[in-house]
Amino acid sequence: MSELDRRSLLKMGAAAIAGTVIGNGITLYSASAHAGEEQNASADTALEIPPKGKARWGMVIDNNKCTAQCTACTAACRTENNVPAFGDERYDGHWIRKVTLTPERGGPEKHLPLLCNHCEQPPCQHVCPVAATFTRHDGIVMIDKHRCIGCRYCMIACPYKARTFVFKETTEWTNRDVPKRSHGVVEKCTFCAHRIDQGKIPACVEACDKSGERAMIFGDLNNPESAIVKYIRAVATKGVREDLGLEPKVFYTGI
Amino acid sequence: MANMKTKFSAIGGNSAGFRLLVVMLGLLSLGGFWSAYMMYLHGHHITGMTNAIPWGFPIVMAVYLIGLSAGSLVLSALSSVFGRTEFKPLARISALLAALLLIGALMCIILDWGRPDRILVPFFSMNPRSMFSLNGMLYSAYIGICFVYLWAMFNNREKLVKLLGYTAVFWAVLVHSGTGAIFGFVGARELYSSPLLPPSFIAAALSSGTALMIMVLYGTFKLTGRALDDELIRRLGLYLAAFIVVVAYLVFIENVTRSYWPGNYAVQKFLLLSGNKYSLIFWIGMIGCGLLFPFVILANPATGKSVKWILFASALVVIGVLAERYIIVIPGQVMPMEMFPGYHIAGPFQDGRVIDYCISPMEILFGAGILSFVFFLYALGLKFFEMMPDKAVIDEGTAGEKK
Ligand code: SF4
Ligand code: SF4
Repeated sequence: MSELDRRSLLKMGAAAIAGTVIGNGITLYSASAHAGEEQNASADTALEIPPKGKARWGMVIDNNKCTAQCTACTAACRTENNVPAFGDERYDGHWIRKVTLTPERGGPEKHLPLLCNHCEQPPCQHVCPVAATFTRHDGIVMIDKHRCIGCRYCMIACPYKARTFVFKETTEWTNRDVPKRSHGVVEKCTFCAHRIDQGKIPACVEACDKSGERAMIFGDLNNPESAIVKYIRAVATKGVREDLGLEPKVFYTGI
Repeated sequence: MANMKTKFSAIGGNSAGFRLLVVMLGLLSLGGFWSAYMMYLHGHHITGMTNAIPWGFPIVMAVYLIGLSAGSLVLSALSSVFGRTEFKPLARISALLAALLLIGALMCIILDWGRPDRILVPFFSMNPRSMFSLNGMLYSAYIGICFVYLWAMFNNREKLVKLLGYTAVFWAVLVHSGTGAIFGFVGARELYSSPLLPPSFIAAALSSGTALMIMVLYGTFKLTGRALDDELIRRLGLYLAAFIVVVAYLVFIENVTRSYWPGNYAVQKFLLLSGNKYSLIFWIGMIGCGLLFPFVILANPATGKSVKWILFASALVVIGVLAERYIIVIPGQVMPMEMFPGYHIAGPFQDGRVIDYCISPMEILFGAGILSFVFFLYALGLKFFEMMPDKAVIDEGTAGEKK
């Protein structure tokens, strides 16, 4: 801990010097937020895959860095996973979506992406009558699109609205590595399981890095040396509606 | 044991009126199947459902039909299980209707799936933790029990009839608790999650089922020109009044419990006081038609003894319970989910606002079609099997007391 503190202090000093350039109060936060990240900068682009059953993939989103206009993650996800957009908010698919939070008592707005939390206790999986929703050995909650009967009970049970139904047949198929879903089944974020299996980080995290915001950290929650674990140890993070006890694996700072 | 010596026969079914009825029901059923096919072909965007409201009118209909089915079955068991021999002539038709209504409910559920062509998947891939999966088993067994029960009645196996009657009542309770649990066990939504839902499902099932049977019995006997004792309708009316009281009590407790907690003020205000269509359906449909008006009619000695008034009260209950099912299924999805207390949330997934659900014509056709199909099969059942008693009158010497 003390080591981390010293590091943050150093960074804070640096930030204070660069403060005039970067502007507003966010600098302080981002300085400390980078503390864990920079130690393991290599973990950002390539993933170390532990033996089967050992990993618990998770994500941290620092929404002090996440800006209002940026749509890098949502756009990257759409292309990567062929998530349908019909131009109609009633039917558009969303694997990751940006929301705006306005404090009821006033204060600045917050912007952050919401996605499937890959809950450790996923109610969507509990209710699925045909066991089409299942948890992979590394904790990723997935849907078998060949088995899903489209009953939509999982959409009722998920408290995060992380799932969408394919309301119409889609024609666009941007990424051939990921199969399209026919209409009539439910889909959601897979943490880019196909990329993880190749040792790559999810498309949204990559896009966020490239955009320069660097608001997302992805990694193995079971590995004490991973950037994400170090970050979580150093900075207060919180899952959405942790009170429900589903143990979400996407954490946020600053909510 | 068969102290009333009721004779059962098939109806002639050759009159022009009967044929017209069957043809009309058949056409409506085809309309229902067509709408289901369209949903399958084009996707669910042709219905009123959206990503925010994934369950629409087909699910309301399914839950409704399941409820109606229980009431019929309990009526059928009145003679064998509860010793009310005067209801014995009605046992066969009510058991038939119970089975058909549940078949209709299952059809509503399956045809509403995004992929009804995967009908066989649930048989090979089950999830015993899912209330849907469990209910699938309960429903299938229930239909089976109804048919075996009918078979036993047809063959006058008195002992078996009694045994199956008990099984059927027990199973009906399971089926309806299970159906209530589909909603009651969902912890994510304030308006769903409630341990009272299973019992109130049973209570509403009994009231709507009895009400439907009163209407169906009266209609069937009138149209086939057979004698039905007014006293039977009056007694059913009394049961109906009693069931209404139980439903009213459960509805009261549930809403008082929810309204008492300050954290629920917003939700309850939306449902009860906002004057929007949901609160209108709640007060006029569910409370007015389903509970208050019919109870006043049935409890008032001036109207409670008149068959016409009892029929009217039954029609109100049948409509009112449909409103109740709607109130259970829809508003729980319409209200935004509290993901970030203390913040107002806005996003592309219709986040953070009340989302309106409008029943689409497609869904109305769907629901009406399946209901017609149930009665289409019912009419054919009466024609081809010995379902109908020659008469259903209370034999003053034997009624109520057992020999
Ligand atoms: S966030 Fe929703 S969809 Fe994702 S695992 Fe949790 S309950 Fe399931
Ligand atoms: S819609 Fe598909 S994934 Fe969801 S509960 Fe039904 S079968 Fe399972």
